[in-house]
Amino acid sequence: MNPESEELYPIAILIDELRHDDVSLRLNAIKRLNTIALALGHQRTREELIPFLDESIDDEDEVLLALAGELGEFTEYIGGPQFAHILLQPLENLAAVEETMVRDKAVESLNKICPQLSQAQLEQYYIPLLKRLTLGDWFTSRTSATGLYACGYPLASPASQEDMRKSFGQLCADDTPMVRRAAATHLGAFAKKVGKEHLISDIIPLFNKLAQDEQDSVRLLTVTDLVAIAEELSPEESKAYFLQTLKSMVADKSWRVRYMIADNFVKLSKAVGEEFTREDLVVAFVRLLKDNEAEVRTAASGQVPGFSELIDKDTILNYILPCVRDLVTDTSQHVRAALAMQISGLAPILGKEATTEHLLPLFLQLLKDEFPDVRLNIISKLETVNKVIGIELLSQSLLPAIVELAEDKQWRVRLAIIDYIPLLATQLGVEFFDEKLGALCMSWLGDSVFSIREAATVNLRKLTEVFGVDWAKQTIIPKVLAMGTHPNYLYRMTTIFAITAMAPAVTPEVIRDYILPTVTNLVSDPIPNIRFNVAKSIEALIPVLMQNPDTAPLVDQQLKPALIKLSEDSDNDVRFFSQKALLPVQ
Amino acid sequence: MVLDLDACIESLFQRQLLAESVIKEICEKTKELLMSESNVVHIKAPVTVVGDIHGQFYDLLEIFKIGGYCPDTNYLFLGDYVDRGLYSVETISILTCLKLRYPDRVQLVRGNHESRAVTSTYGFYTECMKKYGTSDVWHYFTDLFDYLTLSVVIDNMIFCVHGGLSPSIHTIDQIKVIDRFKEIPHEGPMADLVWSDPDPGREEFAVSPRGAGYTFGSMVVEKFLHENRMDHILRAHQLCMEGFQVLFDDQLSTVWSAPNYCYRCGNLASILEIGVEGERHFNVFEAAPENERPTPAEAQRTLFSNGVPQSLFSNGGGGSNGAGVGGGPNGAMTFAGASGSNGGIDPAQDTIHYFL
Repeated sequence: MNPESEELYPIAILIDELRHDDVSLRLNAIKRLNTIALALGHQRTREELIPFLDESIDDEDEVLLALAGELGEFTEYIGGPQFAHILLQPLENLAAVEETMVRDKAVESLNKICPQLSQAQLEQYYIPLLKRLTLGDWFTSRTSATGLYACGYPLASPASQEDMRKSFGQLCADDTPMVRRAAATHLGAFAKKVGKEHLISDIIPLFNKLAQDEQDSVRLLTVTDLVAIAEELSPEESKAYFLQTLKSMVADKSWRVRYMIADNFVKLSKAVGEEFTREDLVVAFVRLLKDNEAEVRTAASGQVPGFSELIDKDTILNYILPCVRDLVTDTSQHVRAALAMQISGLAPILGKEATTEHLLPLFLQLLKDEFPDVRLNIISKLETVNKVIGIELLSQSLLPAIVELAEDKQWRVRLAIIDYIPLLATQLGVEFFDEKLGALCMSWLGDSVFSIREAATVNLRKLTEVFGVDWAKQTIIPKVLAMGTHPNYLYRMTTIFAITAMAPAVTPEVIRDYILPTVTNLVSDPIPNIRFNVAKSIEALIPVLMQNPDTAPLVDQQLKPALIKLSEDSDNDVRFFSQKALLPVQ
Repeated sequence: MVLDLDACIESLFQRQLLAESVIKEICEKTKELLMSESNVVHIKAPVTVVGDIHGQFYDLLEIFKIGGYCPDTNYLFLGDYVDRGLYSVETISILTCLKLRYPDRVQLVRGNHESRAVTSTYGFYTECMKKYGTSDVWHYFTDLFDYLTLSVVIDNMIFCVHGGLSPSIHTIDQIKVIDRFKEIPHEGPMADLVWSDPDPGREEFAVSPRGAGYTFGSMVVEKFLHENRMDHILRAHQLCMEGFQVLFDDQLSTVWSAPNYCYRCGNLASILEIGVEGERHFNVFEAAPENERPTPAEAQRTLFSNGVPQSLFSNGGGGSNGAGVGGGPNGAMTFAGASGSNGGIDPAQDTIHYFL
């Protein structure tokens, strides 16, 4: 073998893999296509690799998908933008295959390559590709075509641009709903490229037609187009062109369309401007909040804080808040849950007094909701309210409810409260905390649900960081260590997890005086699960003790012997974990 | 190939499927491990006992969140890992890996669903085809099932089996001489152990409405316990609305660990925590909320590229979503019109008639 082909030998293997029977090998090779290209060099890649890939188009979808993705990044490997058009051919084929994901990826890649083309390349290669796909027999190529107009438009010649506007219009009027849906999906992006004059003369009529399509699946997609187009117009123009359309969409007989409006309401309002919003959209929003379809109400609830930021306080209090009050007792739990997630967002907008007067009673009601997600969502957003009204007012009004929730029968609700405790602790101070919340924190260590016990130990570490090691020494450490004698191994386990969790937060002295005795005791625990967790705990304790020259000797004196004893244990797992812990200190 | 079990377990917790070749190797190794187990495995408390899971992966995760993770908590699983749920593959994969990684901390007993005949009809075979494209993975696991033990005894006091007792079996020793390394037969002691049910209204054995195994009553239970000097029988196999059931004056318990069975029964589930002194605590739980909405990754797979939820275009749940969407077959997503049913099979009780 001559030297040149010797170098190419591993590449030959890769190329063979591209033709292999086993699909996973072909996939592998496709993912390393750039390696092959680098070895072949620009010219051979252009002249041999790309055509080879183009002819192997009938392959597994997974391979085609990977190929479509790779080609989008391939410009540098074929010698730079001046050759980029060579990648268009295989991508055009991929854009017409049956599998949607492959087509979408091909379109994505074409969108990446398009900006790299010169105007000449665009006119010579890209525009004809676009035409062929647009006039394709199968709906698959026509749907892909819709995604290629926006990026091709800016650099095209005025004649081509006029053609493109016409062809896109044809796609919007296509017989197949799939194509019209794709056109509706991409109308917004296209609209942003055509310039104001053609936006008004060509695009808005297309939009209006799609917005009245007989298929609701097409209509609902035009909502995002509306936002996109409105962003290009002045507020007066938005109002002139879209007031009627918006009104009919809000009252559309298909709830799916109303859902899309609701879900995009803030974006919509921002796009059409303040006056339009104030005069016409408030009424529309209220309609959506009272819609008879729960999903629409849920989507609208999600938009409440965002929308409220755009209107004045009086409008909120007079129009939005009454709806919010009704939604708190909505029959659908998902609506109430969505509201609970968002309602605290109103607090910063309304300010302290209005929040205290209008929102606090609603929070309390939601905290007592029978559906756990509602309760959970309120708790997770209390911080926002805290910032507005302050911890004292918050704890007076809400603390009793919070304490009740700490014993909620849904463990995820209990968990959310635990996560909130360190924050409360920081705000309330040590005395208040000890009096009201201390016992609660300890009781969680004995909860019947493991995740609660685990969270409780992490909580203790965070509290130690807030209140200090001395406080921990007096209040929590004795109780934690006492659990080490519980008859149930699952609770003795909590002690060990707590020790491991707290080690980084306490001083080496605390470990020596309080923790080590318990640890060394548990080395002889009758249950192997305890013993191997002791080994893991020791593994975590050693670095902390080594920090301090006073406590470092303890490692050799107490901990290493303990590990050695455990490494000869009769149980496999105890031996495994203790030997692992011994490795760094051998 | 060097098998990194810890990495496999971690991927499985993220609900990522293992490669087919990895599954093959794991099953091979686990078979070797199980081969040396007797038909009656003796273990010591403390241990947490788990009943039917039936491919409800998120509820298995819930079990770990409530009972503690392996290996810190000892687990005894009583079978029926696959079928009916959406994630049988992930469920049996993770349990097999855990058994292989921590053989002293995990025990797996064979249920009536750990069988080629049953899994061909009740979902596991279909799921393997859908997720792997071939039936190889189904073959690896069903071959593995032949090796699973039939029963476990805790502290020589508690007899644990998937279904129940057999008229052919009076002593533990009689179980030990069974040749278990084969497909579950239609009848005989091995079939009885995985198919039988207690009947608190009777005293003796009777024909089972399931068409396999028997029903057994109070005298049978007392005699078995007395003869074998044990004080409790623990089994699964039957849906319990409260998650568990205690019968025969606390001589027999059923533990059921698949909450909201088939995503529509609305039942509770439980795991039984057994302490060193024989203390029994049923830790009751509900279905995990992750069952209700698809994960972001699943949502990606089912979305149109513009981000509009697929369900906006469907007419409601129907049974057609299959394993691609996280919602259950009744369209647990709340979009209106999501009712749909999953065909006429009564989930509460399997019978052998469906596949004879």
